[in-house]
Amino acid sequence: MPSLLRQTEQDKKNTPHSLLPFLQSQSQNTLTRLYQRPSSCLSIFRLLAPLERQIVMNLLWLESAIAASTMAAWVQRDGRKLYEESLANLSYLHILPNSAAKLALNFTFKTSLRQALTGGGISGSFGVPAEKDDKQPGPDIEALDSFALERWETILHYMVSSGTGQNPTKPSQGVLFLLQRSELMNSFYGGPLQITSAGFQFLLHSPHAQLWDLLLQYLHLAEERQMDLVEVLGFLFMLSTMDLGREYSIENLSTTQKAMLEDLRDYGLIWQRRPNSRRFSPTRLGTTLTSSSPPLPTTTGVGSGPKEGFIVLETNYRVYAYTDNPLQTAVLNLFVSLKYRFPNLVVGMITRDSVKKALMNGITADQIISYLITHAHPQMRKNNPLLPVTVQDQIRLWELEKNRLKSSEGYLYTSFTSQADYELVLNYAKQLDVILWENTGKRCFFGSLEGHSRIKEFIERRTQNPNS
Amino acid sequence: MRAIKGVLLVCDPAVKQILLSMNEKQSFIIEDLDDHHLVIKADEEYRVRRELETELEKNTYSLD
Repeated sequence: MPSLLRQTEQDKKNTPHSLLPFLQSQSQNTLTRLYQRPSSCLSIFRLLAPLERQIVMNLLWLESAIAASTMAAWVQRDGRKLYEESLANLSYLHILPNSAAKLALNFTFKTSLRQALTGGGISGSFGVPAEKDDKQPGPDIEALDSFALERWETILHYMVSSGTGQNPTKPSQGVLFLLQRSELMNSFYGGPLQITSAGFQFLLHSPHAQLWDLLLQYLHLAEERQMDLVEVLGFLFMLSTMDLGREYSIENLSTTQKAMLEDLRDYGLIWQRRPNSRRFSPTRLGTTLTSSSPPLPTTTGVGSGPKEGFIVLETNYRVYAYTDNPLQTAVLNLFVSLKYRFPNLVVGMITRDSVKKALMNGITADQIISYLITHAHPQMRKNNPLLPVTVQDQIRLWELEKNRLKSSEGYLYTSFTSQADYELVLNYAKQLDVILWENTGKRCFFGSLEGHSRIKEFIERRTQNPNS
Repeated sequence: MRAIKGVLLVCDPAVKQILLSMNEKQSFIIEDLDDHHLVIKADEEYRVRRELETELEKNTYSLD
């Protein structure tokens, strides 16, 4: 699926990874402690944008600082802005301290990343593999995949079918709490959990983005629970560098990290034979956290969705989805009116009502279109443009239709006695930037609610001493 | 000088005409500003939006 890959590559280029802003908001102390772990440095390196990686690589093996002008000489004029942005990003992460004259990597980061690439240094940063146990061999990759998939789809399926009257299997309490905290789901007046508009948008994201959305919430939660953020982040990064299908020992984990095992098991990032088992195996969800390979197994064997895109959309608004996956069907049901269901195929229509329902739930037209593009069937990729233009436009028009009436509360100022009076008040209101509409001919204007008290005050001041 | 409290509606001329005809049944418009702008009573906004919605709904048909 070359075109699909290209698209995800592009996405990455435009938007930085969602974890980076979180890291940037952390103190230098926290980051420096994090950078002591080679696995964390390697993972963060993988999350950086291509140019940032390039800069780091260039500086990594230099023993002393180099003049900033030497580096800048490589940059062409039109790449200037991009280059400076990259330098700024790296300095927010405290990887490359901000300096006008000399460029050198943060010493801790440099040492650890070198270790990650060449080996050696403190052991255990990449996890300690457990001794092979012949009596109880670890799970094979297939078993791990189906476990991860089952856990993850349970969460998504629970979200998508809330409020539809079905009763899907509930995820664990920890997951439910996290969903509620992240405002993806909400309970109204103590009733059962209902999906929110943020939750609907969440469902249309790629699994990778979804995973990080939840983990970011988990990190915020960890901060509140007074868990050591460095331990938590370090463990996630360690997971992301582990080998799929290998068992790891929990001996080297800190207390915080041992406490995390249960949560990670609930999300399907790791597998353990028993809750108190001395060993764990990371699943594909865990090992792909910082890589660009898909986080979920994509073989049809384990009952997941098809490998590549599965949606065919025709100019007559018909949707053919080649899938037997209940989750994908449920997600489609958010904005498609489904007609028939066959063992490997679901047929539906995009109608005004079905799109309107989605819009009411807070899903935007762009999200629907981007979901259709990301999951388009390989057959569709021969078309240019990929989706029929009529359907795309119509979905956008339906969205516009919802916004035919804009309203804003405020005050209409009218019946001014003279043109001079009108202009005086109007100019004052213009300074406050509260005017929503004005008409000099009619000598009236409409100001927003916020500006009213100050305009009123101004007029009162004027009437008391008109000459000031 | 007078200041009148209300809600400024920004809409297209077609919607404005519908609002004007709705106004004849039950008055809610304070001031008709121009083709795209109306000021209406603040407490009537919800009702007006709902009635406009049903009115616009009459002009559409669905394939279902």
